[in-house]
Amino acid sequence: MVDALIEAAGLTKKFGSFGALNGLDLRVMPGEIYGLLGPNGAGKTTTLKITAGLIEPTTGSVVVSGFDVTRDPIHAKSQIGYVAETPILYESLTPRELLEFEASVRGLAKDSMNRRARQLAEAFEVVSIFDLPIATLSMGTKQKVAIIAALLHQPPILLLDEPLNSLDARSNRILKELISLHVQRGGAVLFSTHIMEIAQRLCSRIGIIFGGKIVAEGDLDQLRARAGEKDATLEEVFMKLTNEASEVENIVRTLRESFFDDEGR
Amino acid sequence: MKAVDAWRLSAIPYSEMAFRSILQNSSNMWWGSFGRGSSEASGREDLVKRSLRIARFDKLIVAIFVTVAAGAPFLPQVLGASYGISASVTLSLAISFAFIVLYGVQTLSSFVTSGPSPLLSTLPLLQNDVSFVNLLSFVRTSDYLVVGSVACQVFFVSLVTGSVLSGLFTLLAGAMNSAIGVSVALWLSSVFYRNILRSKEGKRGGALRFVLLLAWGVVVLGIGVLFAAAGYLIPLVQSVLTNPNALAGSILSLVYPFSLGISDGAIAHGFTPSGVEEIAFGATAVYLLIAVVASKWSMSSVASFPESASIAPGAERAHDTSVPLRKPVAAYVVKDLRAASANLPSAFLFVLPAFETLVVLLMRVYLPSLGALTLLVAMTLGGMVSLILPLVLVSSEGTGFDFAKTLPLKIRTIVFSKASIATAVFLPAVVVVLVESLLKPLTSPFLTMVPLASILAVAAASLLEVRLFLGFAPSGRATFALQEFGRMAAGAGVVLLPGVIYATLYLLTFNHILAAAAMIAIASIELIGVVEFVRRSDLTHP
Repeated sequence: MVDALIEAAGLTKKFGSFGALNGLDLRVMPGEIYGLLGPNGAGKTTTLKITAGLIEPTTGSVVVSGFDVTRDPIHAKSQIGYVAETPILYESLTPRELLEFEASVRGLAKDSMNRRARQLAEAFEVVSIFDLPIATLSMGTKQKVAIIAALLHQPPILLLDEPLNSLDARSNRILKELISLHVQRGGAVLFSTHIMEIAQRLCSRIGIIFGGKIVAEGDLDQLRARAGEKDATLEEVFMKLTNEASEVENIVRTLRESFFDDEGR
Repeated sequence: MKAVDAWRLSAIPYSEMAFRSILQNSSNMWWGSFGRGSSEASGREDLVKRSLRIARFDKLIVAIFVTVAAGAPFLPQVLGASYGISASVTLSLAISFAFIVLYGVQTLSSFVTSGPSPLLSTLPLLQNDVSFVNLLSFVRTSDYLVVGSVACQVFFVSLVTGSVLSGLFTLLAGAMNSAIGVSVALWLSSVFYRNILRSKEGKRGGALRFVLLLAWGVVVLGIGVLFAAAGYLIPLVQSVLTNPNALAGSILSLVYPFSLGISDGAIAHGFTPSGVEEIAFGATAVYLLIAVVASKWSMSSVASFPESASIAPGAERAHDTSVPLRKPVAAYVVKDLRAASANLPSAFLFVLPAFETLVVLLMRVYLPSLGALTLLVAMTLGGMVSLILPLVLVSSEGTGFDFAKTLPLKIRTIVFSKASIATAVFLPAVVVVLVESLLKPLTSPFLTMVPLASILAVAAASLLEVRLFLGFAPSGRATFALQEFGRMAAGAGVVLLPGVIYATLYLLTFNHILAAAAMIAIASIELIGVVEFVRRSDLTHP
């Protein structure tokens, strides 16, 4: 049996009295794009941050490529490339300085790293801004720099938190291709999004996260079967499985009545 | 929009600006430290609350300090000195001017780089109203400071002279001083943060950064000199200003803020037909004009910041992507130096230990030889100032620290890199002492051991401080300050101990050899102990 590249077991995370994660389990296999799908505040970002070693779980564990993220963070982090929802970068540095810092700390081989940096910078059209302070770049360009930093060391595991949000169409397409190539080479991707179309098109398996735990998991057909909705879209399946369908209908009805009332006045 | 509504509304963009300024320059604040990043959601909420609390407290503390400082030059007259107020008014205006500039540069960076609140521009408000609110949020950055210092100056001048007219002139002079000071701060912020940070680092940019750094240092040291020598300066300057035969008086009457001080003195004590006061009044009229122009420039600049802040940098475009590589510790050192030098006040801290050591030595320049006490005081003071660096370096990580946390970094790599910088910053202080020892005979040749032991002690203290700063998360309001100061106190103890051992042993035995050997031994033990502590405590990641 092939070992999972990411294995989270019994993850909980409390912020004060609020439980962001409440016993989350997931496994991501080599060659798999696992989409973490859920509404705002469901625990997607917390799951990714714990897996990236940014924060520690309250209980439970995450093992990446056989390394426990909490107990052996140095080896675990060498296996991961992480792109945050809002780029986290040293903004007073330039992209060149940031990559120099990262590549040096990771101990990458100079020639191959430089070749890769050039390919990625050209692909995302950021060569010209290589010497500008990151603070001066647009959000989309910062996101591109963050993606290049995450891919620079060719990690087997990519953790992508809503990575397509700020990207233009061209970069969007390139990133999707890069993700496909990554999994074709045996890598794994844990991908967070709340956009159904992206999850449906890109992910080989989807975990629906709600209230800090995975409430359903599988490919689209398995999720449809679970929801008892044959031929349903992912959005419909999602609404059904998270019990939000009736609630959303009520809200829409109330809003419609309120809007028409306002127009009547 | 009514002024009251605009003032109330301006609190929101001001709070936002204060928060962003603290995130960018947390090391500037008198105790702020946010180096642990903000990846925890609860930590982020705490960060916001703490930032705003610190911004308010920081502004209040600085305002109280400046108010006291602005009042200090009037102390001789309050205590019964018989000479006039010209020198006191001049010194008071100079001190408040310097502080307004220093504080302004620290707090206005966020204002300059991204505008007070881009959100305002998206609301259905008239452009004039948006500009007015922006202007008021800008006024809020130095309101306490300006009101406190000007009120203090008016109070003391009125008290000492009993002249209403002189009090009113002081009010005008204080307002002019504040207007010019704020405009200079705004201009300096614009030059530094927009023209340098937003462009590629070239020779011109590097030179300009160096010039600004020196200017910053001159202002900081100038304030120190003004304070240290105020007792001598006031009567001396007063006698020069009131001597009708002195050419210096005529020249100074043209120079800001002497013109204002001389004019105020003339109004309070009556005119003397020397020509100096007439020149001073003429110069004051010119400075009034400058203050009006400066105020208008500030208002128009501030009003246009939401648009101008988003101007794309006109820097050179890169054509290659080659990335050099270093060893991890060296890479972290270079990263830290780049991040810290992007900030004017923290950049100046890199030369401060050497400056402080030099000041101590200059204060004892009249002594024929260099004794143990002078060396111990000079080295200890330089070492203490170096200990600010670990806090600054941890703070300058800011929210970017989350990026470092995603890397396979051992915590000791970070500790050793930051401690290396703090120790290296201390080395020029040692060079200053060694050069001084070449110029002056030492009371004992074994005193050369003192600077060497100090290097070991500063290295140990820096390692300990960085490790402590990275190691424990503060919680609660009261414990936060205690923990911050506790960490610095631990470092200070490590720096002080070898010197205390030297002094104690020498006083007991009058033997420099024994005292120096013990100092070296204690400093070495400290360094070995702290290195071992850092090594053993490297069980967790940042």
